[in-house]
Amino acid sequence: MTAILTIDNVSHRFGSLWAVRDVSFSVERGELLGLIGPNGAGKSTLYNLIAGVLIPTKGEIFFDGLKVSHWKSHRVARVGIARTFQIPKPYRQLSVVENVMLTAFQHERSVSRARDLAIETLADVGLRDYVDVPVTTLTVGLLKRLEVARALAMRPKLVLFDEIMAGLTPTEVSTMTKFVGGLPARGITVIWVEHVLYAIMKTASRIMVLNRGELIANGEPAAVARDPAVVKAYLGEEMSLA
Amino acid sequence: MSLDVTQQSTGRLALPFLPRRGARVSVLEIFIFIVCLALAIIGLPQTLQDVAVLTFLWAGLALAWNIAGGYAGLISFGHAAFFGIGAYTSTILFVHLGLTPWIGIWCGGALAALFGALLALICARLRGPFFILSTLAAAEVVRIGALNWASLTGGPEGLSIPPVAGMTSMVFASKAAYVAMMLLFLLVVYAITKLLEGSRYGYYLFSVRDDSDAASAAGVNPLTVRTAAMALSAGLTGIGGSLFAQYFLYLDPTFVISPELSFQFGLLAAVGGLGTAIGPVLGSFLITPMSELLRSYLGNQAAGLHLVIYSALLIVVMLYFPGGIAGALTRIVSRKGKL
Amino acid sequence: MSTLGQLVLSGIFIGGIYALMSMGLTLIFGVLRVVNFAHGEFLMLGMYGAWAITRLLDLNPYIAAIAIVPAMLLFGAIVHQLIVRPALDKPHLVVVFATMGLSIFMQNVALMIMTADLWDVPPMFNRSVAIGPFYFKAELLLGFAITIVCTLLLQWVIRATYLGKAIRATVQDGEAAMLMGIPVPRIFLITFAGGSALVGLAACIMMPLFSVFPTVGLNFVLIAFVIVVLGGMGSIEGALLGGICIGVVQSISSYYVAPAYGQMFYFILFLLVMIFRPNGLLGQKGAATIGIND
Repeated sequence: MTAILTIDNVSHRFGSLWAVRDVSFSVERGELLGLIGPNGAGKSTLYNLIAGVLIPTKGEIFFDGLKVSHWKSHRVARVGIARTFQIPKPYRQLSVVENVMLTAFQHERSVSRARDLAIETLADVGLRDYVDVPVTTLTVGLLKRLEVARALAMRPKLVLFDEIMAGLTPTEVSTMTKFVGGLPARGITVIWVEHVLYAIMKTASRIMVLNRGELIANGEPAAVARDPAVVKAYLGEEMSLA
Repeated sequence: MSLDVTQQSTGRLALPFLPRRGARVSVLEIFIFIVCLALAIIGLPQTLQDVAVLTFLWAGLALAWNIAGGYAGLISFGHAAFFGIGAYTSTILFVHLGLTPWIGIWCGGALAALFGALLALICARLRGPFFILSTLAAAEVVRIGALNWASLTGGPEGLSIPPVAGMTSMVFASKAAYVAMMLLFLLVVYAITKLLEGSRYGYYLFSVRDDSDAASAAGVNPLTVRTAAMALSAGLTGIGGSLFAQYFLYLDPTFVISPELSFQFGLLAAVGGLGTAIGPVLGSFLITPMSELLRSYLGNQAAGLHLVIYSALLIVVMLYFPGGIAGALTRIVSRKGKL
Repeated sequence: MSTLGQLVLSGIFIGGIYALMSMGLTLIFGVLRVVNFAHGEFLMLGMYGAWAITRLLDLNPYIAAIAIVPAMLLFGAIVHQLIVRPALDKPHLVVVFATMGLSIFMQNVALMIMTADLWDVPPMFNRSVAIGPFYFKAELLLGFAITIVCTLLLQWVIRATYLGKAIRATVQDGEAAMLMGIPVPRIFLITFAGGSALVGLAACIMMPLFSVFPTVGLNFVLIAFVIVVLGGMGSIEGALLGGICIGVVQSISSYYVAPAYGQMFYFILFLLVMIFRPNGLLGQKGAATIGIND
């Protein structure tokens, strides 16, 4: 099969609450998949399950031919899954470039070459001017871009973006949208959780909608936007019937 | 606590003035090294030689502590256990089995490193104060064990090394030789620290210290990194303990494995500047001579007074200069640079 | 068998007193998420105070509590404002080293002023009280009784008053509490000062049973830590339960095993709890495994 990621009947429970319930889907190599849903839908949990932070209560996860359901996050990262954090988690006592070097080390073992790769990646996301700046001076918007740089410096096969548009100006949104849209051409498969729907509608080949832990839609952007179940999930019962 | 922000070079030499993270040396470090070397070679009056021995030794031990506490973020108040394990191992091997300390110190270091790794594994999931308290508890277990296993360690009466000078027994007639030995220890630990902080492994340590979830997502395994850091830190501390045994020639669990000693390593590193290489050195160079001189001039009373002063100093430094002496130096120099 | 019964019961009583000493620590831990490494020295200070008032004014330590408890309340407030509060928004190691520094500072000031000698108060009741076939020192029973009363009072405050609710909220989630309008900095101050006052009370009831000397805090603080860990961070009932467990373990082990090794037992117990049940017997899940400044 050509699918790079397969989620097979995955469910996850916190105490008595099922955060993710019987979710199944696959992602093809080179796809850009949007993942949307109201708050509390289970998107972060799904990401944590894929990234190895959580082990699914039920179901299996396959990546690139490997069964990774029970793998810890550092192992998952090493086989090529990168992720960003919704609330940025920079290394506070390091500089911007050093933050990116950590992920760059996956492919460049020497400190100087990792630094070069890190600077290159930072330039890619427009942070070239901040290379040696202490990371604590960055604004949230810049920190989000740093998250993107960190993920990409790993030269991942699959990247999980988590709301990377928050805090960006309209011009920056446009630039970032084009940038992310170009990633599949570079051989990077993308799953994109985003509330700025414009970005996803423009770039995604497919959109999945999660609500209350369940996958309620999975198809082309235009079709998903019109799907009554999706409208209901976002706007409530009355609006969908109106 | 990155010292990278300042970059003052001295023109021709193109060396930075202040220490920077990584293997490149700075003018300040070279200056300090030359001064120490001079002191060791030229010689000092008898009383000051003891001070020099301890200053260099505690500096090396503070550096070793810093690898776990400052670089890996594993603040331990139990390092005296590693010190004691090193000291007792080499001494027991020498006194009971006749094994030369030149080999014995490595055995001590290895055993201490093993204990360090074990401790890190046991306390792997613990954070913050719980980790610190666990290190305290573990050290107390070792101390009480040493105190009561009299057949091995001599118990409360302690263990002595015969004060007979000899190369194979690593006992020296002249204090100057000890000064040189401790300086060598300090230099080796310093070199290890500098190499570590500029290497990929050093960055792994910093990442796990600053945000272990992000580090995991970057492919770094926090458990192996912490365990390795603790093992290295413990091993170096153990070697320092063995060297101390060869100098002091008497070991007693109440002093050698005490919480006060553990605290001292952290104190020197923190006042000097946690997470930098030069910090623990500066901390020891400032505090140890003062401490020893106070102790010798004030006799018994000093036992209380000098600790009163240092603890007050520590509180003030922690609240107002969390970067320690090294951090304050950087801030002063970078401000001058901007003028 | 009656030996065992005697040991267990006296273990329970002394354990209760240990618990009182630990309640302040567990509250401070739960609310502020900091470990006050000087906790043992607060106890020492209270004990010296109780001793001084008893010896100099010819009273007894229980009456001395009237002065000591408010004095410790004030002392706690001062320490909080000067040392703890400035440390809270800095990296975690700052408060660790600052309270450690305070601990060493207080120990050595005591050493310089009071010398290393052990000081005692004269026994108040020179008799043992009989409960069934067992005999206990009157001071032990009185101390335990005071502990129980205090525990019930604290429970009432925690459950029935607004302050108690605010404290519980802050223990669960300080940020959320602040967002709900709870004056968290003031709760911090009240908790730290109140916890110190509790230690002062514990000092007064412990003075008739133990001698005071500059490093007395070291003995008891480690017991307090074990109790806090066993009972779970922030839990008053947990502290009482933990204290009783420790008291019984200590009582039995120092009788059947050499006293020196007896001390080792707490530490091993502590480490075992840390490894297998870091949340304590009753406490909040994940307390020990969540970073304090996360």
